[in-house]
Amino acid sequence: MNNTAIIEIENLTKTFKNATEPAVNGISFSIERNEIFGLLGPNGAGKTTTISILCGLFAPSSGKVRIDGKDLFDESSAIKKIIGIVPQDIALYPTLNARENLSFYGSMYGLHGKELKDRIESWLNKLGLTDAAKRKVSTYSGGMKRRVNLIAGILHSPKLLFLDEPTVGVDVHSRNVIIEHLKSINAEGTTIIYTSHHMEEAEHFCTRVSIIDQGKILTQGTPAELISNNNGAANLEAVFLNLTKRKLRD
Amino acid sequence: MTKLLATVKKEILLLIRDKVGLSILFIMPMVLIFVMTLVQDSAFKTMNEKGIPVVFVDNDKDSLGILIEQGLKNNDLCSLSDSIDGKKATAELAQKYVGEGKFLVGIIIPKGATDAIRKNVTRLVSETLNTEDTAAKRTNTLPDSVEITILIDPVAKKSFLISVTSNLREFISEVKTKIMFQAFADQIAEVIPDKQNAPKKTYERSQIIKYNEVYASETEDKIVPNAVQHNVPAWTIFAMFFIAIPLSGSILKEKNEGSVFRLHTMPTPYLLLVNGKIIVYVMVCLIQFVLMLSVGQVFLPMLGLPALVLGNSIAGILLLTFATAFAATGYGVMVGTLATTEHQAAIMGSLSILLLSALGGIWVPSYVMPEVMRNISAWSPLNWSLEGFYKLFLRGGQVSDILPEALKLVLFFLATMTVTSIANRKKRNV
Repeated sequence: MNNTAIIEIENLTKTFKNATEPAVNGISFSIERNEIFGLLGPNGAGKTTTISILCGLFAPSSGKVRIDGKDLFDESSAIKKIIGIVPQDIALYPTLNARENLSFYGSMYGLHGKELKDRIESWLNKLGLTDAAKRKVSTYSGGMKRRVNLIAGILHSPKLLFLDEPTVGVDVHSRNVIIEHLKSINAEGTTIIYTSHHMEEAEHFCTRVSIIDQGKILTQGTPAELISNNNGAANLEAVFLNLTKRKLRD
Repeated sequence: MTKLLATVKKEILLLIRDKVGLSILFIMPMVLIFVMTLVQDSAFKTMNEKGIPVVFVDNDKDSLGILIEQGLKNNDLCSLSDSIDGKKATAELAQKYVGEGKFLVGIIIPKGATDAIRKNVTRLVSETLNTEDTAAKRTNTLPDSVEITILIDPVAKKSFLISVTSNLREFISEVKTKIMFQAFADQIAEVIPDKQNAPKKTYERSQIIKYNEVYASETEDKIVPNAVQHNVPAWTIFAMFFIAIPLSGSILKEKNEGSVFRLHTMPTPYLLLVNGKIIVYVMVCLIQFVLMLSVGQVFLPMLGLPALVLGNSIAGILLLTFATAFAATGYGVMVGTLATTEHQAAIMGSLSILLLSALGGIWVPSYVMPEVMRNISAWSPLNWSLEGFYKLFLRGGQVSDILPEALKLVLFFLATMTVTSIANRKKRNV
């Protein structure tokens, strides 16, 4: 067992019922502690399926997963305590305000009392939401919702954070704020697993990336390594397009 | 415990921010009780106050016709007319107007009816006493009975007409009996000339058999079954089960808004989240129950309706209310879990509750249903609850009397939770 790896995946396969092809096809990789690991791929590549398995949402068809040295399926409750997730869709209660949403989600991670309150106020302040905290989330702009969505996933200071396209559909200002704070929590010791279609963002944000397509890993390495290993590629987007064959996906 | 409290708090907040949901939960059922009780009570009162429209054709013009006419005129149940559009009512006109629905009932007393009764009595007395009265011998040729025609509006409800016509028959028979007794007394007085031995005419003021109709309730209060006693528990149960719609909707909203996705990744059992919903919606059911009872006890009497009488067992009411609340909440959670969209849950929830309430005797009492339907009705949780409340509110029942109903409701709740759990596991096992 690799002591520095927070996630170790071996031959992970997932075939959904009634599906002819596996969504995830025998992938193996590990993620080191404190990395910002980008899982990149076109639509239907298997990114969300992989993240969903790692979060314990459903079981794989086969393969092994260890998170923080624990078997994902035998010790799922212990693992759930150390992970946080920021889903692609806004997972908030629209009729509750930001404080009420965060208070509920924080409580589900076992936070309570002053500690919970202080953390909520601190994050609302950091992400510029204090003034709007009493308003219902349904009245927020897309960027504000994304920021609350992010806080709900990081409020309990997880060891491992899954980000499924955390900046999709937000303006440049909100994106910068989100990325800056993600970098700061990474600097404090949180490992981040990140999926995105935004190649430029991934190139600058991730310490290592894995490009996945049709359920298989095509390549893996630091953004700089991938660019230099692909002759003629000027950036990560060019590498991505070369590897995924520029074919339109559903 | 903190997690459960947080879930309860979240559910309460979601509920109070949903104004439409709240109105479905509280205002609509109260309006329903008002409307249904007033409609049923006023329909009953209209018949009582205005009376059933009856056209009366008296071709007899003697004691039988006069006594029946007087009796019906004095009866609040009837609104008697002996003329139609200013013309004296005839058999033909009565037939026409009852057929057209202008009168619900028509009564035609044939010509010579009283005379026929008297002659029959004379014949019977003579035959019994073997007198040589030649007039009596002549009556042998008279018909045995007098035929009174009761015309009925073909559109009128059969059950209602059975009740009306049986009352009319009873009253007409009473009048006929009086006339027969009178004739008997007159005949015997003629046969027995000794005035001292002649029978006294006491029959006019006395009845041989008296009926004393008492509701066989064990309660100390005199609970009289009425629209309030029947409607308030029935529609309260209906309202409690109707929470299946907002409850299932809230479960599906959480799924669609992505909250469930996040909640499944948290170190909190999904059952705890469901329990939070159950606690809040059981509380909603209890508030609904208190509101409905207050409508029955305070507001309906303000509109001139009788006040709801609760019976003698507060413990029984509490037990049955909790059991009903859990059954209703469990049903809502199950619908919310089985349905895949809010639209589907709304249709599945509302239709199934309407069906279960119709089968359960909320709309029509189960005792008037055919046997097959009665057997099906016995499987509706709304029927168990309604039977339990009738036991408490109308039969003066105690906790021990409603234990079978309460137990069935609790078992129903456990069954819905089992189905929910299995369905949840199946849905996640993709």
